[in-house]
Amino acid sequence: MKRTLLLLLAFCALFGGAALADEDLVSGLSQDTVEITSNYTGTDIVVFGAIEHPEDNGAHDVVVVIRGPDANMIVRKKDRVVGIWLNRDQAKLQDMPTYYYLASTRSLGDIAAPYTLKRYGIGLANLKPERVFSHHDPEPFRQALIRRKQQDGLYGETPTGVEFLSPTLFRVHVPVPATVTRGQYNAEVYLFRDGNVISAQSTPLFIDQTGLERRLYNLAHASPLLYGLSAVLMAGILGWLSSVVFRRAS
Amino acid sequence: MEIYLPIAEMSVHWLVILGMGAAIGFLSGLFGVGGGFLLTPLLIFYGVPASVAVATTASHITASSISGAIAQWRRRAVDLKMGAVMAAGGLLGTVFGVWLFGVMRRSGQMDLVVAAAYVILLGTVGGLMLRESLGVLRAVQSGVSAPARRGGHHVWLHGLPIKMRFRESRLYISVIPPIVIGFFVGVLSAIMGVGGGFVVVPAMIYLLRMPTNVVMGTSLFQIIIVTAATTVLQATSNFAVDIVLAFFLIIGGVIGAQFGVRAGERLRGEQLRLLLALLVLAVAVRLLAGLVIQPSELFSVATVAP
Repeated sequence: MKRTLLLLLAFCALFGGAALADEDLVSGLSQDTVEITSNYTGTDIVVFGAIEHPEDNGAHDVVVVIRGPDANMIVRKKDRVVGIWLNRDQAKLQDMPTYYYLASTRSLGDIAAPYTLKRYGIGLANLKPERVFSHHDPEPFRQALIRRKQQDGLYGETPTGVEFLSPTLFRVHVPVPATVTRGQYNAEVYLFRDGNVISAQSTPLFIDQTGLERRLYNLAHASPLLYGLSAVLMAGILGWLSSVVFRRAS
Repeated sequence: MEIYLPIAEMSVHWLVILGMGAAIGFLSGLFGVGGGFLLTPLLIFYGVPASVAVATTASHITASSISGAIAQWRRRAVDLKMGAVMAAGGLLGTVFGVWLFGVMRRSGQMDLVVAAAYVILLGTVGGLMLRESLGVLRAVQSGVSAPARRGGHHVWLHGLPIKMRFRESRLYISVIPPIVIGFFVGVLSAIMGVGGGFVVVPAMIYLLRMPTNVVMGTSLFQIIIVTAATTVLQATSNFAVDIVLAFFLIIGGVIGAQFGVRAGERLRGEQLRLLLALLVLAVAVRLLAGLVIQPSELFSVATVAP
């Protein structure tokens, strides 16, 4: 909610200051839906855009952020108890993105002040849960979450990920691994100049299962009894078939 | 070709899954066991979430047990009444086990309980089998015939009430022991994804004193009912059964089992049991190592419903 407001603010600032700075941003996605089909193994989507009316040399920076749907996450830490490693301390982090990928023209520290980045929630370091439920200092748990998600390819930050094809035209390859959560994603493109956001754009992106996978997933959740019985029926038929087939063969 | 598993929400290579099913099927045909105790850890090592692995393995065992039970049924080696009594206990155990499964999953101790249950059960069963088969092999080598097994008389088992006659097993015993054994196996099936044949068969022989010719068929019969119930309950309460994964595992499994049975005919019984014992112990040691060796990453992340 807070983020949407900030984006709106950025838009207002843009239109309000239109007379002063004509530098603007247009951007788009290679596709607005990613369909998870039976042979889905992850994909690449391309965010592309152009800077309109660029001022003089090119002291601008582009930051592209793809954010997946938020979810509540429990981070658990293993501890040794009488010789056995088991989950002990835990923290519940509310509303963390299930997917976060950032690409920029150079490292975030060089683009803007930490204060600005924090205000717009840009960068893995500024990924903060809405609320935390824990008896312990939540910071190590938040860092562990980000580290684990990076290992799974679900979080990422590439300081050189924005590729300029011409002085004004840019594109970003965004890796979408097979383990992504379904739902609405947002591609946010920020144009920075002298450490300030002068333009921002947000484009929605939908990732969903299609075809047989979707029907199976829906069936499993909408009518689990029918789904369970079908699984048993399938097992029964296959088991029976094999005994018939192999009895003939031997 | 990679396939996407809708419930596990990951993509796998179908040949890997088919191969896994075939390898487990081969072993189950070779040793005459369901193989769930190997399949569940194998799926977990491959990256399938523990809950999906446990729940999906149950349906794989249903299929392979049906195949075996039909063969036994043709030989009239199934005690339906005994199987039904044990399955009644098994259904209660399954309901309890699936509930326990959900509680453990929410508390974050799922992996620990599954691994610990495996270590204890496989360690015990594997150790006993190893001792027995080594004893037999040594006796064979020294030319002495193995001593005939004579267990205790279980006087207390015969003093229990609600007796029932089981004609095919030629037994007149209380229904309490079969129900309790069934219950225990039902719990195992729900939390470990095993059929429990390696517990049921010895229990039938040594505790219930059933004739060995009906043991195999009867245990398969009750395993079918218990694992089918586990599949349905896991689907309805934990949404953890992946039907696509189950399909490829079953296809591989039934094919592998046929080759396993043929290979088994060429090996001697005690050699087979020695091999199985070593295999069971190896899995137990591998899981134990996971519990006691410091993991490289101490933190784990789970996404929860709001």
